Amino acid sequence: MKRYVKITVIAALCLAMVITLSFIGCKKEEAEEGGMQVKTFENAGDITIGFSVWTMEFTFFQNVEKGVKDACEDLGFKYVMIDQNSDATKMVQDLNSFVGQGVSGIVVTPVDPGAIGPAVENARMAGIPVVCADIGKSGPVNALMISNNFKGGELAAEFLASKINDTSKPLGLGNLLPQWTYARQRGEGFLSKALELGYNVAANIIVQNPSAEGGYDTMQQILSAVPDVAGVYFTSGREAVGAAQAIQAAGKDIWSVGYNGDPEEFQAIKDGVLDATILQEPYYIGYRSVEILKEILLDGKFYENVEVPVDVKLITPENIDDIAAEILEKTGNSAFPAE
Amino acid sequence: MDDYRLRQRKQIFGVYWGNFGLPLIFVILVAVFSITNPNFATSYNILNNLSFASYVGIAAIGMTFVIMTGNFDISIGSMLALVAVLGSSFAPKIGGVAGVISTLLISCFLGFINGIFVTKLRIPAFITTLGMLFVFRALAFIYTNNAPVYISDRFWLYLGNGKLFGIVPFPVLLMGICYVIAYLLLRKSPVGRYIIAVGTNSKAAALSGINVDNIKILVFTLLGLFVGISAVVNSANLGSANPGLMGQNYEFQVITAVVLGGTALSGGNGSLGGALVAALIITFLDNGLGLLQVNSYWQQVATGLVMIFAVSLNKLKFYLLGQGEF
Amino acid sequence: MVKFLKLYEKIGIFILIVLAGIFLAIASPNFLKTDTILNIITQGTYGVIVSFGMVLAITSGGFDLSVDALVGLTSVFLSVLIPDIGIPGAIIVSLIISAFVGFLNGVIITKFGVNPLITTLSMATIVRGASLLIADGKQIPISVARFTVIGTGKLLGIPNPIWIMLVLFIIFYLLLYQSSLGRHISAVGSNENAARISGLNVTFVKIMVYVLVSLTASINGVIRTSQAMIGIPSMAPGFTLTVITITILGGTSLAGGRGNLIGAVFAGIFISMIYYGLNLVKVQYFYQLLSVGLVLLFALFVDGLRKRYLEAAKIKGIKV
Repeated sequence: MKRYVKITVIAALCLAMVITLSFIGCKKEEAEEGGMQVKTFENAGDITIGFSVWTMEFTFFQNVEKGVKDACEDLGFKYVMIDQNSDATKMVQDLNSFVGQGVSGIVVTPVDPGAIGPAVENARMAGIPVVCADIGKSGPVNALMISNNFKGGELAAEFLASKINDTSKPLGLGNLLPQWTYARQRGEGFLSKALELGYNVAANIIVQNPSAEGGYDTMQQILSAVPDVAGVYFTSGREAVGAAQAIQAAGKDIWSVGYNGDPEEFQAIKDGVLDATILQEPYYIGYRSVEILKEILLDGKFYENVEVPVDVKLITPENIDDIAAEILEKTGNSAFPAE
Repeated sequence: MDDYRLRQRKQIFGVYWGNFGLPLIFVILVAVFSITNPNFATSYNILNNLSFASYVGIAAIGMTFVIMTGNFDISIGSMLALVAVLGSSFAPKIGGVAGVISTLLISCFLGFINGIFVTKLRIPAFITTLGMLFVFRALAFIYTNNAPVYISDRFWLYLGNGKLFGIVPFPVLLMGICYVIAYLLLRKSPVGRYIIAVGTNSKAAALSGINVDNIKILVFTLLGLFVGISAVVNSANLGSANPGLMGQNYEFQVITAVVLGGTALSGGNGSLGGALVAALIITFLDNGLGLLQVNSYWQQVATGLVMIFAVSLNKLKFYLLGQGEF
Repeated sequence: MVKFLKLYEKIGIFILIVLAGIFLAIASPNFLKTDTILNIITQGTYGVIVSFGMVLAITSGGFDLSVDALVGLTSVFLSVLIPDIGIPGAIIVSLIISAFVGFLNGVIITKFGVNPLITTLSMATIVRGASLLIADGKQIPISVARFTVIGTGKLLGIPNPIWIMLVLFIIFYLLLYQSSLGRHISAVGSNENAARISGLNVTFVKIMVYVLVSLTASINGVIRTSQAMIGIPSMAPGFTLTVITITILGGTSLAGGRGNLIGAVFAGIFISMIYYGLNLVKVQYFYQLLSVGLVLLFALFVDGLRKRYLEAAKIKGIKV
């Protein structure tokens, strides 16, 4: 038995030595200060854009992807895409793999904005600029396109207040899972505006099952917890559609607001199931991200940690047709579900 | 006579297939991807893939031990997140090295608790770890109040992102060392024999004087240790530890690797090399399909099909060896 | 004591439900209302329905991790088919397709000898990919208003999902405890080799089990889709874990051979009570997760104690 203890101790010591030596060995390459050396290009045809997307299961990200792809086509760039499958580890692997493939610029919609730091640093060391298309960032990137989620929440609160017009009536909030930190702003904007307008958000419940039927369940819980709730806001579209169905099933008259502006929300507003939603512009976010990369790579413009806020809009039955027409014109996509 | 020779040949082939079938699939996979995409077989890409294979590969060692004793652990995804947020939040106060060591100690302790529940409180492993899956995740959330812990310690970051001699990613080296130690433990030490004995027939093992409970606690603790190593490497790769997003689906990825590697869930002997190759297959398959720009929905279908195909090839061994009907 | 423990095996979870009920009734004025209680039970039924199938799978010594993917597949097929072939036709086709996936699971497990865990996990990936392909990644709203009755309607004041669960409970109860198939499932789960030697068609029994699990998942998919009125390829994320939790907490032994359907019903209601109830009293989500884990560990620890006491009693010669 003693022999094995000895072997283990020796192995552990060897390991410790290797770690220390290699760590000291690498210590000299300190990170360079201030920005990065971008590899610029003369011809658009030499440029490849790599896009790493959270998941292609959600409409929002599909639209970001469409924007990135269309922009690459319009500008004459080559385009490669990898799906993170909602897995942060795969995201980092993919980003590193982009560097190996020799892409010229990276657009990333990160599943975990806190987890892109080392991978982005790796890419930028190789002279590859990185633009985050929504969600968020950690550490330096060249640019971050970000939806104004806080304002979206505020708009939702303002809408409910204008419709209910009675501060004695309580409101309800259906939040996304806590690990999706980017969406927290949507709830916080709502809470702060509701407080400011004098409303009481009596129920703040997390949609445990992030899908339409999860919204349905959560709405039932809100109805039980606050029977006289007058208006609810769900921080994501599918959940809001499910919640609106639950309101109908319960036969109540409650104002409901969603978030995203996905086709099913447009349909639900048109059908009078949902009352309003907050429109984001995923297509523009994707398209503009590539344009920024073009400015960096071809025009030699300097971008470092530039935050580009992207506006959000309130969609109600009154303006839905105008906005749908606008979206169709801008993106070539119908805002409504395909038949 | 002919029949006999045929059977003999079949058996010889079966033994070879058992040993080399999975590596063969891996080689074919790599060959196909190398031919179809010039960016696949670059040393950078291969090393990058190897580095990320350690995410599943290192914990697969511990899981192989646990499954060999006829147990199971589905709490490791939550455990990964919990020890990563704990350790990385200590690191700024006590230094990177101490932070890493504390991470490993905590993860050993959590594995130890799982082991105690399974053996002394006699709750079946699946149920214990199902409960712990909720408990660990909840504790990670509560401890951090759902804020990611950013890692700035250079030593910690080096363990995931550093490159030995500027070429070999450190996680690859780490995974190699872990496998060598695990191999020695399993094949050259009495502990390995005890583990196999407990898994094959725990009553017989107890009668022959092996302390079955202690062996079980040991394998759960070892799994904890390997999950701890994985937590350090993974959080270094990510640059932060996120209580909710780390280790999602981790348990099933690792169990898939172990079972794909040829270890039976019923316990008994297992294959460390198989687990390693399986972890490589999973990682390389993901990367290869991505490089080929396969539509991501088709990618899911393809991954599932390859998994079923690869595991069903394992069955071929038993068929050839005459140990089962096909 | 022994008598009490025997009783506890049957209704142990029921005691937990009563305790939780008393706590919630004190803590929240909104708990003791017909609507609330019916909602809690209804939200429990979703998991319970699928856990009926899972009870069979685990009793036969298997496992099924593909149920969440099947919910999504059903939802997509319903939304695609309802405009074309009407509600009954769409439901039947979706059920048949799900049953076929279950059949494939069974065939791969029995004929190719692939471990059920890996088979169903891989199948879940395949099915999810297929659902996304069929729906082209989109959510498809359903505009036929009548369809919503299935999940949201009430009969005699009780929501339809509860009725569906009761009917399925009776069917599965008869199937598991009264039919020859049920006895065969238990036999296969207790000792597969013995079952095979005694002439049972193990392959058939196992395939049937996976078909039944898939059917329950699909039925759940129908209910959920009719509530949300939208087809979602990635519906019910993480649902498999809920179903497994309910099945295990309901007292079905993972060793196989011993299924507990009534326990699953109570366990499902209890889990629903924890989430729903803690939301009523405004407990944070994190602590909800923690309580589910702790309750699971506690309940099964007590169950372990009970078993040990009975074993000891047996050895002492007390009649058990």
